[in-house]
Amino acid sequence: MAGPLLETKFHIPRRRRGLVARPRLSERLDLGEESALTLVSAPAGFGKSTLLTDWLTGWQAAAPAGERSVAWLSLDQRDNDPALFWTYVATALDSAVAGVGAGALTLLQASQPPAETVVATLLHDLGAVPTDVLLVLDDFHVIESRDVREGVTFLLDHLPPRTRLVLAGRADPALPLARLRGRGELVEIRAADLRFTPDEAAAYLNEVMGLELTARDVAALEERTEGWIAALQLAALSMQGRDDAAGFIAGFAGDDRYVVDYLAEEVLQRQPERVRSFLLQTSFLNRLTGSLCDAVTGQDDGRAMLEALDRGNLFLVPLDDRRRWYRYHHLFADVLQARLLDEQPDEVRDLHRRASAWYEQDGERAEAIHHALAAEDFERAADLVELALPALRKGRQEATLRRWLEALPDELFHVRPVLTVGHVSSLMVSGEIEGVEERLRQAERWLHPTTDRADEMVVVDEEGFRTLPTAIAMYRAGTALVRGDVAGTMTHARRALDLAGEDDHLARGAPAALLGLAYWTSGDLGASSRLYADAMSSLERAGHHSDVLGCAIALADMRLAQGRLRDAMGLFERGLQRAEQSRPVLRGAADMHVGLSQLLWERDDLDAARRHLQASSELGEHLGLPQNRYRWRVAMARVREADGDVDGALDLLDEAERLYVGDYSPDVRPVAAVRARAWLRQGRWGEALRWARERGLSSDDELSYLREFEHVTLARALVARYAAERSERSIEEATGLLERLIRAAEDGARTGSRIDVLVVQARAAQARGDVPAALSSLRRALSLAEPEGYVRTFVDEGQPMASLLRALAKDGNGGGYVRRLLAAFDGTEVSRPVSERLVDPLSARELDVLRLLGTDLDGPDIARELVVSLNTVRTHTKNIYAKLGVSSRRAAVRRAEELGLMSRPRARQPLR
Amino acid sequence: MSNGSTDGAGRYEIRVKGHLDARWAAWFDGMSLTRESDGTTNVHGPVVDQAALHGLLQKLRDTGLPLMSVTQVEADQPADRPIDPRQLF
Repeated sequence: MAGPLLETKFHIPRRRRGLVARPRLSERLDLGEESALTLVSAPAGFGKSTLLTDWLTGWQAAAPAGERSVAWLSLDQRDNDPALFWTYVATALDSAVAGVGAGALTLLQASQPPAETVVATLLHDLGAVPTDVLLVLDDFHVIESRDVREGVTFLLDHLPPRTRLVLAGRADPALPLARLRGRGELVEIRAADLRFTPDEAAAYLNEVMGLELTARDVAALEERTEGWIAALQLAALSMQGRDDAAGFIAGFAGDDRYVVDYLAEEVLQRQPERVRSFLLQTSFLNRLTGSLCDAVTGQDDGRAMLEALDRGNLFLVPLDDRRRWYRYHHLFADVLQARLLDEQPDEVRDLHRRASAWYEQDGERAEAIHHALAAEDFERAADLVELALPALRKGRQEATLRRWLEALPDELFHVRPVLTVGHVSSLMVSGEIEGVEERLRQAERWLHPTTDRADEMVVVDEEGFRTLPTAIAMYRAGTALVRGDVAGTMTHARRALDLAGEDDHLARGAPAALLGLAYWTSGDLGASSRLYADAMSSLERAGHHSDVLGCAIALADMRLAQGRLRDAMGLFERGLQRAEQSRPVLRGAADMHVGLSQLLWERDDLDAARRHLQASSELGEHLGLPQNRYRWRVAMARVREADGDVDGALDLLDEAERLYVGDYSPDVRPVAAVRARAWLRQGRWGEALRWARERGLSSDDELSYLREFEHVTLARALVARYAAERSERSIEEATGLLERLIRAAEDGARTGSRIDVLVVQARAAQARGDVPAALSSLRRALSLAEPEGYVRTFVDEGQPMASLLRALAKDGNGGGYVRRLLAAFDGTEVSRPVSERLVDPLSARELDVLRLLGTDLDGPDIARELVVSLNTVRTHTKNIYAKLGVSSRRAAVRRAEELGLMSRPRARQPLR
Repeated sequence: MSNGSTDGAGRYEIRVKGHLDARWAAWFDGMSLTRESDGTTNVHGPVVDQAALHGLLQKLRDTGLPLMSVTQVEADQPADRPIDPRQLF
């Protein structure tokens, strides 16, 4: 935060002495019980806040203590920064109902969560509250930020039944009001409702203000002011202590002037000069307190003055119960400011400058900057913004930072390197790299100043200047990464690391991760994993725990490629422990469960894998990083598939593909390739090959680590095609590709990739009928896989793999691991798709022919139906007989029925 | 709207119901205020872009005066001067 949160914004305005009871409006507000949104929309001075506070008191008193809670927030211009807005909302809710909002606040402090995640966390907490909660956002018309409005819309759309939102403001908010109205979810109180009726005006003027006016006078005032409450108040003040009320009213009623001009004039004229000038000189302050007023006016009676104005009901609104902070009523403040500008235009800047100095002294940097900018004292404003930079960055108040920076004149940046790099940080956050390098150079010039410079450098944040070289190198690494320049990323990240002090943990974390990322992208997992481990320990020491979890996921991905399942498991276990021990639970906890689930799946502990996926969803989306939505589905697809629900698994993969969001990590296991492998397990090699073609994959591609998973998938598809069609070209392509892949994996020390490739090599040799070669590849795979306990990698290969393993066991060189794997096959026999019980599964085309064999159609009919030649049908039929081990059409159909092949839905077996 | 640019820069006339004192001119960013005989005030002058126009409208909103019309007008040609129809051809 640039300064502390302002307590006064949470203060429910005190009930004014003497109010006009407005049962007709209170009843309408009570109706809001059933509606998500209550909207109080009317111009300034219509008594919106007064009505709400009056009603709230009654609403809370009408239920047992603690049953109804109110969170109140008065908004101002600065709340257009989403980070600040949601921080205030969460704090308001937290102080109304202890615990609600704590999670959101941690999120807001720890990382840069999307607004939706913050709102989802708030909603989650609100949903668990057993009492009624009312969230009032006063002065909502100041909100112009689209991001904030979208967050509020999301909140509205998902409000739990016992939570209501009340928005009060001078203009209708740009929210989907018509939709809410249509659903009966909106209660509205508008200007026409808020205007004083003649009876209310009479009650106010005569009973509350004690004016003893005649009915005719009241009617004249009511008509002239059109029931506008602020105007009636001003009129009442003008008449207090006046003998000739009737004369005043006649003069007022017969005048065309803006009622507020007319009446404010009246009120001000009746004040002593001292009061008048106090009112004008302090009119531009958003909040007033004695010492601040003294600083601005140069007098020493601020506190006494404010108390006197409060007693005299001169449009002062108390902002706390201790009579320390006040503000002017908005309408009155506008009138006073217009006068100040008109009467003392040259004074205004000085007044702002003095207010800025007071706020700086008081430690409220945001207010100090606001007034410095208003005073057009840009040098001062720049100093203050530079000092506020670290806190703004930590609080992720990028919108605020940008607004301030954009208000400063360009030439100011030329001599302020720390501020310039601050500007870069605000650009980089939104992914803008345009103009970044130019700014970095501008800042860098000051690191090696030449003597002939005419201008002089300005630095107020010495610490910021000290770490400037590191920051510049790091932002260069960042822009290189965005441009896809791996070498550049490495050069600059390495430089940033060299420049950062050994103990400067925060400064080391980001470049270490960036450098690690570059190595990962280029396939050097040894270097990348070391750097990620370094980044994690730096971030840990700097207290950035959520970022540590993000790094753990990336590092575990590298460990998988390295074939280090146990290390990956340890990363997720420690991450989960850290996440769950934090209060509230850290975001990323849900991801740890998904990671564990995938590893447990590989080890064939399906129940545990399932439990972790369940646990991940129970934590809720808000505790998952954005990538968790698709990762969870990919993991769940395997569980579905093991349950025999192939269609369900494929649907999940389709969803995962739609939900995919990248982070900076390379997408080393693309969802589409995962789906192609699922197809292959179903014998649908044609679809897998089509995917490979669409991805532009070919067996003579130059290999790179980033496409390794895809290339191994292509090799699998080629082997499957050979097994089905005996196409020599397929097996030649596959063999050549596999040989190159295994060399690349060995060179990169990627044991996990080697196991993956060796298994396909074994299948390829087996399909060629070269059993010794198949067993040789398999033995190598097993020796690499055994120490880490791989199971599914082998079991998922189905019966062909089982027969290879049995052959190994028969030769006597199987050992306990092979026996364990074979036992795992036994466990799958019942749950696995039946077609895979065939040594050589039927191809999609063969299944088509097989199903037609079950009909009355003869050979030529089948050929016509499938639009192929009779010869082709005969070839397919021969293959089907061979695979099913039968010698007649009737036996084939019977065997196929036993295996459940006849009933497979055709929709998943498209014609080719 | 012949004078209007895409940014909406140009001269505008904004009419509100009620007579605003001349002292408000500075508050409304130096716009001129003309009180009309029909009890309305014409707030007119140059506006640099749409954002400035909306800012002005918000300030007017905050006075509570009912807004009656907003018109973009030709530069140097107040809307109340009758247009010679021949100039159109």
